Amino acid sequence: MSAGIVDIATAKPGRTVDNDHFAAIGLTDEWIRRRSGIAARSWLPDETPLAEVAAEACAPIVTRMDDPSSIGALVVVSTSVRQRVPGVAQKVAELAGLGPSVLAFDMNAACCGFVYGLVTGLSLCAAGQARSVLVCSVEAMSRLVDRNDRQTACIFADGSAAVLVEDRAEFAGFRQIAGCDGSQEALMRETDAGGIHLDGMQVYDRAVRRMAESAQYLFDHGSAPTVLVGHQANGRILEQVREFTAHLGVPFVNRIENSGNTSSASIPLAFAEELNAGSLPAAGRLGAVAYGAGEAWGGVSVDYRVPHPAP
Amino acid sequence: MSEISDIESRITDTMLAKLRERDPSLGPDDLTRPVADLDLDSLDLVELHQQLERELQVKGDLQETAGFAFLDDFSTYFVKLANRE
Repeated sequence: MSAGIVDIATAKPGRTVDNDHFAAIGLTDEWIRRRSGIAARSWLPDETPLAEVAAEACAPIVTRMDDPSSIGALVVVSTSVRQRVPGVAQKVAELAGLGPSVLAFDMNAACCGFVYGLVTGLSLCAAGQARSVLVCSVEAMSRLVDRNDRQTACIFADGSAAVLVEDRAEFAGFRQIAGCDGSQEALMRETDAGGIHLDGMQVYDRAVRRMAESAQYLFDHGSAPTVLVGHQANGRILEQVREFTAHLGVPFVNRIENSGNTSSASIPLAFAEELNAGSLPAAGRLGAVAYGAGEAWGGVSVDYRVPHPAP
Repeated sequence: MSEISDIESRITDTMLAKLRERDPSLGPDDLTRPVADLDLDSLDLVELHQQLERELQVKGDLQETAGFAFLDDFSTYFVKLANRE
């Protein structure tokens, strides 16, 4: 078990929506920043197929590879893909330039999806079932929310990011912890009328606890992460998790200000932004922790070596 | 008795620190004001709940504290909890 992350790419082709947009539903910039830490987010056009957005994230990784046929699997993680038959992963594989011999499938674990998908990709590599695996999260949460809902409209956002995982002798083994509790499904759910219902106080409390506990587990088991990236749910949640994990002594990433909550895509987008900004070394160990609807939660620690700046 | 005073004092300090995040001019007298009159939102109350839990090393019930109308209610609740542990 020595798979790690060897490449990363992102795609945020939507328009930037700043907080002034929400004046129409009675929200001020000051209130949104205080409540969520968000100043701006990206929203995709309603008609843009998510397969195209995911492929935009995956294609540069495929192009950079000496032997793209070594990609044995593609996991496309999404909460907001509406298409069920066929799934989108096969289309993403085609558009991104992958060969026909690829195990391509869709996965949904809400905001925890990237952690679940990454564990799946790493496991496929470590088990020798694929030389390398692409794990791509793509979200258009702006299509799921009720854009007139004062609680959620300003929080959620769109985007995509992909990582390539590969088995290399230089990598320490990855570690993961994950779980779910279906009895808590009412805390966050899509409503029949359209939109997302959030039990804000309970979700805040449980998200902070779960992500902090998952981070602690990753430090207590296996090689310690050199950076922690939590699901970018809400700036207040992130700052509380940062406080709860301060004793671990590693940076905790909060990149929500100009991204918003992109559900499953938020961890790889934030990680890529940190790499891009030069805030992290090109090699280290990522601790990714997440909490989401379901409720699904989890964390994974994994070595990374990404020798070029993420685009 | 001195232990209870210590617990009360730590609770007061934690609550004051939370209040002063929003308004540094607030003091101990403001702790008796209704929550609705203070510049605290619902997430502040969750944060206060979690901070008191950490300070006192106890586990509270957010369903219960979320309905508190006064910060004094937090104090009473967490003093009881701390003394039960």
